[in-house]
Amino acid sequence: MSDVTATEKPDENPILWVARPMATAARQFAKSLFRPSTIVYPYERLEDPKFRDRLDVASGKPFGVGQVWDNYRGVHALNIATCISCNLCAFSCPDVCIDMVTTAGSDPKHPKKCPQIDYGKCSYCGFCSDACPEGCLTMTTRYELSVSKRSDMIYPPERLFEVFRSKLPMNPIRLARPENEDAILLDPPLCIGCNACARDCPTQCITMLDVPKPEAKPGEKLPKRIWKEPVVNDSDCVRCGTCISVCPKECLFWGTRK
Amino acid sequence: MASATLYSVSYDLSHLLLGGIASVFPDPLRAWISNGNVITGLAVLIFAALLLAASMLNTILLIWWERKLLGRFMDRRGAMHVGYAGLLQNFADGFKLFRKTTVQPREADALGFFTGPTAYMVTSMILFGVLPISSGWNSGALPLSLLLALAIFSFAPLFIFVSAWSSNNKYSLMGGMRSAAQMIAYEVPLLLAVVAVVIVAGSFDLTTIVYEQQNYWFWGPLFVALVVFVAGMLAEMERIPFDLPEAEAELVEGWNTEYGGMLFAFFMLADYLRSLIGSILVVLLFLGGWTMPSWVPSAATSFPLAGIFWFMLKTYLVFAVFVWIRAALPRVRTDQLLRVGWNRMIPLSLLAVFLAAALVTVKCVPVFGCLPSPGI
Ligand code: SF4
Ligand code: SF4
Ligand code: SF4
Repeated sequence: MSDVTATEKPDENPILWVARPMATAARQFAKSLFRPSTIVYPYERLEDPKFRDRLDVASGKPFGVGQVWDNYRGVHALNIATCISCNLCAFSCPDVCIDMVTTAGSDPKHPKKCPQIDYGKCSYCGFCSDACPEGCLTMTTRYELSVSKRSDMIYPPERLFEVFRSKLPMNPIRLARPENEDAILLDPPLCIGCNACARDCPTQCITMLDVPKPEAKPGEKLPKRIWKEPVVNDSDCVRCGTCISVCPKECLFWGTRK
Repeated sequence: MASATLYSVSYDLSHLLLGGIASVFPDPLRAWISNGNVITGLAVLIFAALLLAASMLNTILLIWWERKLLGRFMDRRGAMHVGYAGLLQNFADGFKLFRKTTVQPREADALGFFTGPTAYMVTSMILFGVLPISSGWNSGALPLSLLLALAIFSFAPLFIFVSAWSSNNKYSLMGGMRSAAQMIAYEVPLLLAVVAVVIVAGSFDLTTIVYEQQNYWFWGPLFVALVVFVAGMLAEMERIPFDLPEAEAELVEGWNTEYGGMLFAFFMLADYLRSLIGSILVVLLFLGGWTMPSWVPSAATSFPLAGIFWFMLKTYLVFAVFVWIRAALPRVRTDQLLRVGWNRMIPLSLLAVFLAAALVTVKCVPVFGCLPSPGI
């Protein structure tokens, strides 16, 4: 044929163009006639012992009983006891589905805020888990989320804590990220020593140290302030930025310590 | 059971029904009800209702059959929740579609938009009524039933084109145009392949053609014709690899892009009804219809409704081959279809006609023995 296009192979027998795919289809049919790959989900599940021969895509090993992928990103588990209310999870959530809400039974004068996750919006990206400095927000292998009310999609901290207590396999997400080199720096002349940062720091890593009160030169008026300045313990700081946002004089900022 | 035909069953039913109804009424009414004309009239209605029920039931079963088979070809299971093995899934889908609103595009031509699908459906149903399924399930001796069936079969592109044109959508229109254009490619070889069968059988009557195959089925001696006929049928039924008018990847949904709800259900049902009829035609022309070869034990062919059973079994197996083709082959382009039609299928079909003529002249089939009653 003169008008053979590039996609056709003229050197092959055209009968094969039909015969070969037909043979492939027939082979597939024979293979899946009695046992197609489908897992008939509500009746069977991947964790069932009879699917132990299915390989875990990640590790290449067969699944154990009661186990799907190790790195599966399902419902979160929150350990309320170790959460420091740093807000980092809520900051990092790209879908803005985390709200920091007061946990039940916490002191009304000093309410403890913990993340509440709206699974109607969550994209299971795992950023929150990655951001959590205390490792208390992890993702589990639980994948069954169906509810009959939309409001049930919102998991308050207590419910996330229940997931934590159910001892599901946890998947502490640690995306490969460079360590945060930034530190909290202070612009000393602006600081008024008000203690707000030290009070609100979730890790209590800010200490207010005395600074010497300078001698007032004649004619000069000393600023009215408390003669203390925050000093940040960099190894305890989780870089949550709370101190920066609570500072009334905007004298804290991110920078590299010399 | 052998003597019971579709007509006699519906006539008896009508007689029984009207007799029962008549006995309750006083005389002048009773005489009118048990009048022969009324009984015949009701018998015709029952006949039609039986045909309708049979065609719809088989169509829906066929959709199920395709979904299950296609599932296996794709390493999955197909419908399986509603009813046993998903048997009722298509009924559920059908009810859902029938309950939906039919949305008519604002600029659409209402007349064509609504008559197109209806005519498509109706012609397909008429077609089902023409075909004999067994010696009893038979709409009577139509001497030219094969011609009639093929004539009605090729109406479809017209209605497709009408509904595509009326939907006022460019994709629909392109689909409709393709449907009309591809007819040029397959209709000639299809009819020539049928001519080969007609030459050997010596009749246009489908019942006669089936009885001519009592000694050997035509698929062996007329294998070339079978291949051309199946390829032409695939195009006629607009199934993959010749489903250019629907080509979802290029044309949204082809000529039924604008249709939803009930009208879409019409198209869907009529499509599968036509697939059913295509398979039935293959069985009638090449696979011996409801007759079975003589080596099959008579117990397997003499139970009640055996004819219908074997016929439907063959039909569903033929359709399974169509599904197999669908699972394996990609869609061809328009130019490829036309080239296959004119460069390959027409010479092949002419060869088939020549072979058939030679068979009839020699009166002997090498492998299958001598023709019992050569045609012409
Ligand atoms: S990031 Fe971790 S520690 Fe901080 S508020 Fe969220 S869960 Fe609590
Ligand atoms: S997984 Fe991603 S989307 Fe979901 S709550 Fe965490 S950060 Fe937000
Ligand atoms: S960023 Fe500020 S508030 Fe947050 S842990 Fe570090 S010092 Fe404390």
